[in-house]
Amino acid sequence: MTSLSQLFFDAASLGGIYALAALGIALIFGVMNLVNFAHGEYITFCVFALIVPSTDAAAHLFLGKAPAIVLVPVMLMIGGGLAVLSEALIFRRLRNATPVTMMIASFALGFVLQYALLAAYGGRPKAVSLWPGLNTPVELLGASVPLLQLLVIGVTVAILVILFLLLRHTRLGLEMRAAAENFTMARMLGVKANRVITGAFAISGALAAAVALILVTQTGVADVRMGGPVMLVAFIATVIGGMGSLPGAVAAGFLLGAASVMLQAFLPLDARPFRDAFLYSLVIGCLLLRPQGLFASASAKPRV
Amino acid sequence: MTKLAINDLTVRYGKLTALDDLSFAVEEGARVFISGPNGAGKSSLLKAIAGVAPTAHGRIEMDGDILNGASPESIARKGLSMVPEGREVFGQLTIEENLMIGTGIRRDRSAVAEDLWEIYNAFPILGERRHANAGALSGGQQQMLVIGRALMTNPKLMMIDEPSLGLAPKIVDQVYDTLLELQALKGLTLLIVEQSSARAARVGGRMILMRGGRIVGDGDAAELGAEDSLRDAYFGQSKPVKEAS
Repeated sequence: MTSLSQLFFDAASLGGIYALAALGIALIFGVMNLVNFAHGEYITFCVFALIVPSTDAAAHLFLGKAPAIVLVPVMLMIGGGLAVLSEALIFRRLRNATPVTMMIASFALGFVLQYALLAAYGGRPKAVSLWPGLNTPVELLGASVPLLQLLVIGVTVAILVILFLLLRHTRLGLEMRAAAENFTMARMLGVKANRVITGAFAISGALAAAVALILVTQTGVADVRMGGPVMLVAFIATVIGGMGSLPGAVAAGFLLGAASVMLQAFLPLDARPFRDAFLYSLVIGCLLLRPQGLFASASAKPRV
Repeated sequence: MTKLAINDLTVRYGKLTALDDLSFAVEEGARVFISGPNGAGKSSLLKAIAGVAPTAHGRIEMDGDILNGASPESIARKGLSMVPEGREVFGQLTIEENLMIGTGIRRDRSAVAEDLWEIYNAFPILGERRHANAGALSGGQQQMLVIGRALMTNPKLMMIDEPSLGLAPKIVDQVYDTLLELQALKGLTLLIVEQSSARAARVGGRMILMRGGRIVGDGDAAELGAEDSLRDAYFGQSKPVKEAS
């Protein structure tokens, strides 16, 4: 029987992953009304950056061999760089296009990235052993928790705090919040559109890299399709959080993680394989009750 | 010295012509009211100058630099600040954050704190509530905030679209008093869209009268306000009426 504290750690670490991915989507939506469906592929791309390109069944660590103190910043830069590059090459040209056009372009970009990885690495999932020591269980509050889970929770909280400070106390953060509310007005006050949008993409990509590191350590697998499901849940989190609301995305991410873990633990055994059906029924219920999102206040625009 | 020169400016939204071959010049330090009925193209004119409405043809020059085609942020960086219709405060940001957004373009960072103090001095309510969200302010306070916000960019030319819209006359008096004080203090050039010609006549300055995307009158606000041209602009049949936004 799983204890309550065990459930708590499971929910918090799963919710943390969803929250980080949802933040990456909400940040870009906030400044340019783009739902970036390529975000899942940013995550996948970062996972594969860890291993040597080959179609062999076994994975050979490439960047993954570097010590954590080098690896983590390099990965964040790869994620951020990929996102910034995709903005410069694709989304910048579509800035005056409708949100639907931009969204479809992001789907296309996602497919291009996925098939590029497929061509370079082959379609079979590969076992990747990054930081295996982190899966050692630790006794905490009567629960046996893998060290990684604690680390995920800690890292998520740290990232949220850093992001909050960045948005509250730096000029770029101020400009991003202003742009999220009224981009044209911000530009008429001299805020550079390119700077704000590039900044949002860089942060979003770095968040994708953080999610990639957590996922690959937790699952020990690299799969070209692994970004999709995370992206889906994260997108749902941004919708029920109130599109573009950063606190909403975070809260909804944790909520979905918790709901998922609870259903897994408390559904009758026969119903557990259909856990996701129950989860998404809850999502539909949420949206029927509050179509504007859980955390968008009635008067304010659903923004940062 | 000419601050702003508009030559043959045309703005179209699809098939609608909002501005039709408009030309005028504004002297440095002048105060110019733009008046006329709804749909005359007043707001379109301001938006075109600020770089947020595309110009079909014509030329907009400030201090000899051509503005049309430039991005709104680079126009703001040349010293032009716009207070759009409907105020458009950043409601989720604090009052002080609203005031600080536009200071990113300034090189004289040391003078920013002094200017902020000056704004709080001119509009004490903003200083008292500087850490409150701007969305919580009343309409009049928001109007003061957006004027202060535009001033914080340290502009040479400031454009204000309908500062009296939706405000009680007493508040409008206060807004104009402060505006005139600040203009005298900073040597600003002001371009103000004002529906009320009586108000414009009382405050004083030059008045440009628009109708159907064209200029139908140009002169001293006090004199023009009394003339027939004003009545013509609103009700006259002298020119075919063009629908414009």
